[in-house]
Amino acid sequence: MVARLLLRSAVRAAVTRRASPAVALSRGMAAGGIPTDEEQATGLEKKIMNAMKTGTDPFNMLKPKEYAGSKSDPHLVPSITNKRIVGCVCEEDNTAVVWFWLHEGEAQRCPSCGSHYKLVPHELPH
Amino acid sequence: MAHQAHAYHMVDPSPWPLTGAIAALLMTSGLAIWFHFHSTVLMTLGLILLLLTMYQWWRDIIREGTFQGHHTPPVQKGLRYGMILFITSEVFFFLGFFWAFYHSSLAPTPELGGCWPPTGITPLDPFEVPLLNTAVLLASGVTVTWAHHSIMEGERKQAIQSLTLTILLGLYFTALQATEYYEAPFTIADGVYGSTFFVATGFHGLHVIIGSTFLAVCLLRQVQYHFTSEHHFGFEAAAWYWHFVDVVWLFLYVSIYWWGS
Repeated sequence: MVARLLLRSAVRAAVTRRASPAVALSRGMAAGGIPTDEEQATGLEKKIMNAMKTGTDPFNMLKPKEYAGSKSDPHLVPSITNKRIVGCVCEEDNTAVVWFWLHEGEAQRCPSCGSHYKLVPHELPH
Repeated sequence: MAHQAHAYHMVDPSPWPLTGAIAALLMTSGLAIWFHFHSTVLMTLGLILLLLTMYQWWRDIIREGTFQGHHTPPVQKGLRYGMILFITSEVFFFLGFFWAFYHSSLAPTPELGGCWPPTGITPLDPFEVPLLNTAVLLASGVTVTWAHHSIMEGERKQAIQSLTLTILLGLYFTALQATEYYEAPFTIADGVYGSTFFVATGFHGLHVIIGSTFLAVCLLRQVQYHFTSEHHFGFEAAAWYWHFVDVVWLFLYVSIYWWGS
């Protein structure tokens, strides 16, 4: 008897249509009561979150992109000033790293292997 | 204007490492003073200083992470590594006590009667309270996972309910184990059986209390909206620790309570 009643109420619950809210709020404080990072992140975490959304990586968190290093496809080196130190490992497993300052302007070449490097100045988000 | 070009957290100078070290000094020397001169003053002072250090240090971490946003993805990754390494060190800590247990129980000496459990020891029935304790901790593992999923899915009420249930189960375990300790027919002084039993289960019980406290702090933070559905590492660390405590119990139950009877 109980099973039949249970079955009846289950069917009724499954079939009932409820009015849905006009705007479907799916996440965050408005929905379940737990904020999202979008709503609550602050400080550097928020700056980084917003910067990553634009596709840039101003804080160098990701692995650097790979370039051919040729004249037409130079290694692009981001910098927050007008020069940055570059360390070139000319061939894989080389133990001697070739260090040099890369300045703003025309692409420079590694004094050892000749790969092209170009400085790309950018602003930090603030 | 941004003050740093990297995503890491260069922490401001803090007095808590020093107060923690002083607390460790006072507790250890205080222990020696208690043993030899019957005074608990130094040790108690050390304990108070330790509690104050823990409270203020972790409060500062919460301020830096949740309120100031210093816990960027690389910083969080470092915290994860840290917690995993800490739990690993605790695994080795317990491994030592299991080694001691198996050393003594696999080859019982003539002084024990050449058998395990040793002559004169009536071990606890593994299918009574210890089995209930196993069920309680396994259930708490389920509820803490429920809490995690609730947080990730943004369900505040469910997160609070399941986290509370987890803590209650932890407290229930502690209460049950305390009555077992009180009612046990043997003591820590009862040869190597008593030593291995109470040191191993005793340290485990201490870890249950620590884990329950950690979860309780998470509950307070959850109620105060600290956690977001994506960023809640404090809770994850507490859950990892809780699962570790559960696994240690399972090994204790199988080795000492069941095989050891």
